[in-house]
This record gives sequence, C-alpha cells and structure tokens, in this order.
Amino acid sequence: MNPPLLEVNSLRTYFNTPAGLSRAVDGVSFALLPGETMAIVGESGSGKSITALSIMQLVPEPAGFIESGTIQFNGKDLLDLTWEQMRSIRGRQISMIFQEPMTSLNPVFTIGFQIREAMLTHGKYRGDAATARAHSLLERVGMNSPDKVLRQYPHELSGGMRQRVMIAIALANEPQLLLADEPTTALDVTIQAQILTLLRDLQRDTGMSMLLITHDLGIVSQVADKVAVMYAGQIVEQAPTRDLLSNPHHPYTQGLIASLPSRSRRGNALFTLEGVVPPPTRWPGGCRFHDRCSKRMEICNTQMPSTTSQGEYRSVRCHLYPSAEAVTSQEPTR
Amino acid sequence: MTSGYKGMSPSGPTDFDKPVLEVRGVTKQFPIRTGILGRKQFHTAVDHVDLSIKQGKTLAVVGESGSGKTTLGLMVLDLLKPTSGEILYRGQPFSSRSGSNKRALRREMQVVFQDPYASLNARLTVREALTEGMVIHQIGTGPQDRERRALELLDHVSLPAETLDRYPHEFSGGQRQRIAIARALSVEPGFILLDEPTSALDVSVQSQVLNLLIKLQREFNLTYLFISHNLEVVSYLADDVAVMEKGRIVEQGPVDDIFDRPAEAYTRRLLAAIPRIGTSIR
Repeated sequence: MNPPLLEVNSLRTYFNTPAGLSRAVDGVSFALLPGETMAIVGESGSGKSITALSIMQLVPEPAGFIESGTIQFNGKDLLDLTWEQMRSIRGRQISMIFQEPMTSLNPVFTIGFQIREAMLTHGKYRGDAATARAHSLLERVGMNSPDKVLRQYPHELSGGMRQRVMIAIALANEPQLLLADEPTTALDVTIQAQILTLLRDLQRDTGMSMLLITHDLGIVSQVADKVAVMYAGQIVEQAPTRDLLSNPHHPYTQGLIASLPSRSRRGNALFTLEGVVPPPTRWPGGCRFHDRCSKRMEICNTQMPSTTSQGEYRSVRCHLYPSAEAVTSQEPTR
Repeated sequence: MTSGYKGMSPSGPTDFDKPVLEVRGVTKQFPIRTGILGRKQFHTAVDHVDLSIKQGKTLAVVGESGSGKTTLGLMVLDLLKPTSGEILYRGQPFSSRSGSNKRALRREMQVVFQDPYASLNARLTVREALTEGMVIHQIGTGPQDRERRALELLDHVSLPAETLDRYPHEFSGGQRQRIAIARALSVEPGFILLDEPTSALDVSVQSQVLNLLIKLQREFNLTYLFISHNLEVVSYLADDVAVMEKGRIVEQGPVDDIFDRPAEAYTRRLLAAIPRIGTSIR
C-alpha cells in the first residue's frame, strides 16, 4: 500500500478564551492516502473546522495554538516548517476552499486577477501561460464563457459560480491535497449536486486527495471513501463510508443516523440525541459523550475510552468495543 | 395553556374541511429600474400563485433561493401587499380587514424564522419575550396569569421554568428555536409560518425541533405553512408540497404523489439532487 499523503497524529489545538482553555481539537489522529477522499463529520463545535485550519496552520493566533501532535505531509512534519516554508506549501501543495464563497473572494479584483495571483505567487505558471491556464481552469469548473468571467468581479457572479471560481483558484497550482470546509452548505441543492460532481471529477482527473468537512451524512455518502466522526474534539469513529452508514458502531454515530428525517419515518417521532455538544472549555470527564449516550455504562462516567481497531479499516472510541490491541495509548481522564 | 388555550376555530368541527388559508392568484412585482422613456421595469417575485391549506395540515413550499418562497411567506403574514390577487384567512380576505380585525389576524398568524440568533430580541428576558404578545393581544387576566401561561408554554417546548429570567444569549441554537416557538404559541395562533425553522440547526437538534413541531400541531390543531429547501425534512413533515420555480408554483400535491411521480422536470431535478444516504455520484 502507498504511504499516506497526510498523517495526523494526536493533534491537539487549543485556544485561550475568557472562559478558560478551550480544547477544540483534542487528540485527533487519521491518515489520508493519495487520491483518497475522507470526510470529517460532526456537529458545530466538534472541532472539525479547527482540524482543517490546523493542517493549514491558519489557526487564529495568538488565542489559538497547536499544543502537540504531528502533521506529516509527504513524510515531513508541517509543524517543523518555518512560516515561509509553510507559505510555499499553502495554495500550492495544499489548498483550501471555504463555506462562504462571497467572503473568500476579494471584491475589488477581477476573477482573472485572483486566479492568476494564485499562480504567480508560487511561480509555477507565469505571464501568458498563467492567463491561458486561468481560462482553462474556468472551463474545467464548468463556466460557460470563461473569457467574460475572467474580466468580472465577484459581485457579478452567483453563489454557485463564485464557489466554482474558488475551486479554480484552489486547483490553480495542482495541489496534492484539497481541504474543503462545508463547500456546499451555502448553496442550493441543485447547485450543491453540481459542485460535488465537479469535485469528484476533478479529483479523478488530478489524483489529488480530499479532506471534506461536512455535517451532512448524505454528502458523505455521495463523495467520501471513508469517514471520521468527530465529537467534542475527538474522532469517535472511523470507517469506510459504506460500513459506517450501514453499520455504525459508536452510539453517537448511530444516533446521528437515526435522527435524520425521511419519508420512511413519517408519522414516527424521530430519534433524538438529548442535550447538546458541551462547550470546549468544559468537556465532560470520562467518555465525553456519556451524558447524552443511550448505552451508557458505569465505566463511561469516569474513564475515557481509548480508540480500538475493529478490523483493518475501522476504529471506534467507545467502551462497548473493547479490544486487546488499542491503536492509541490510553488517554488520561480529564 | 391546557385550560387557557381555546384554539382559533370560530365555529365547530364542520369548519375543518374548509381551508384555513387560501392564496388566490397572488402576484408580487418589485420595480427594478425606470427606463429612459419613464417605462418601469419589474421583477416578478411571485407569479399568480394559488395555494390552500386545511385545518391541522402542513403545506410545504419548496424551491431554490430566489424562487419567491420568502416573498410569498411575507404576503401570507400580511407584512407585504400583493400586487394583485387575494389572500384569505378562514374565508375572510386580508383586504377587507382593518383595525381590531387586523389585530386579530396578527394574533392568529404567527411565524418562526430560520435563525433563532437573529429572531429573538437580545435585550428581552424569555419572560418578556413570551408575555409581550399576550399584553398586546390582551391574553390573560394579569401579570400572574400571564406568567402562569408563560410557564406552561415553556413546559410545552420542554424547557425548564428557570428559563424565564434568562436572556437569549444564554441558550444554544436549538433552545432558542424552542423559545421562538413558545413565543409564537404565546398568543394562541391557529396558523404558523415556519420559514426554514431547522436549517440553522445541527441534525441532532433538528430532530428535536421537528418532533416538537409535530407534537404541538397535534395538541393545538395548528396549521403550518412550511418553507424549506430541504426535501428530506419536507417529506417527513408535510402533508402537501408546492414546488416553486421563478415565482410560479410549477407543481403541487400530496407528498407521496410529488415524490413518487413528479410531473415537472424541475421537480425531478430537485429530487435527484438530494444527497441521500446510500446513493453515490461516483
């Protein structure tokens, strides 16, 4: 098997806040192979966006900081790089697209300027070659009249078109890894389907890996090879998409899937996970999910479960699934 | 509320077969620019829309942004005047109402918005938010009675009594949406417009709010107009669906008919775009 393109190990990203230390990401580990798409799902406040920002090293400073862990990309730890070295990776080898295509684009520059800028910054394409590539990128992301769009400003485009432009900019330097943070949340459902299909096609053509952050299990089902479910700053379950959706192990994953409304559930009350995600300054002791869990046991109140492997590709962090071979060392109870 | 709530039906159960809300040929145009010869140009946001909802039922209006759903909702609440057409509540046209009659309409028709962070007044305690409407519409015999009603409302939306003296910022999104729902119920409405009420919520909270909306509808025989772009939620909650495209209703009918046998290409496109679990675009 290929070595992973990205390997995140025991990542902890914390924030100093007036309410105390916020442990937004608290011991996250996963690996992403070349050409693979992994989805991180979770509710607001579970730490999924901060995980992506940590990889980019764009965690808002000085409040936020990476407390410990490693982020191996192509075998080297991004956390050992200088700011300048990291700048040469961002936008070139690792690109990111965000939820709001309006706020991500600069309103005072043309689309053409902004796509070219991404290339000129990294010197991979220059001059006419950069202009020609900007044109072909817009074509590639499905723009009907790329010449016109190159001269337009962001406000002249619809939300779906802007997100296509963001994708064109993200792809300008042929990155090996694309981080997509809720890329379709602000878009209509038909536009969402177009953007997801586009991302999938682009990935097939370029062989890049993709880390997709979403709260929508339907999207996960459509585009991801594997899924990590985050809760309270930790990954509680990881599995190939099909396995996770058809046979979720962790009570939280089970609850998320059971609470989805659908026509087949008409007339029946939906399953509910009582309570809310706790604030990251006050994660509960023991298993962080214990106070919302329908399968809580005595041990869950006091001892944090470690992540155990369940077959070759699955792992789960839950006392219901003990295993002799814990894949990470026992975490201290907090 | 159990004792104080009378329901809004002015006459007996025979009324239940008649539509609570009827939208007849409603059009709304907005002027966009005036040409050199003084010719006005218009954007038609809502174009000859007909709808009706029966007592205790839920009609969903689905469509993409810009399809006119929200404009239609504003007209249904009488917050925006149609350019042409007529909206009737319990058989009485809006245009024929005035003064106290209009105030009664405002009381009977309530709304829950998408964003509970924006829709609750940050400076009012929950007690004030829940009793303000009662004071205006002269519900309750006095402050004590209104407080008792407010506590009952909190109980209905499964929030503890301590909630009364707290401010919106102390609550999560799901809790705020419960407060917004309790506020809508505080004036004993017969009809609630739900404008994307769960779109801003996490899935685990969404299911709590959907369960609550269904429970309240059964208890108080409420009629819902449910505006949404989430077809999974619509298929779970609504009895009937109207599909809106560019201001027009292109198709409407019972949920099962529309989902199983969509007649319009636009409806088929919307349905095909739902990212369902177990489907793949690979």
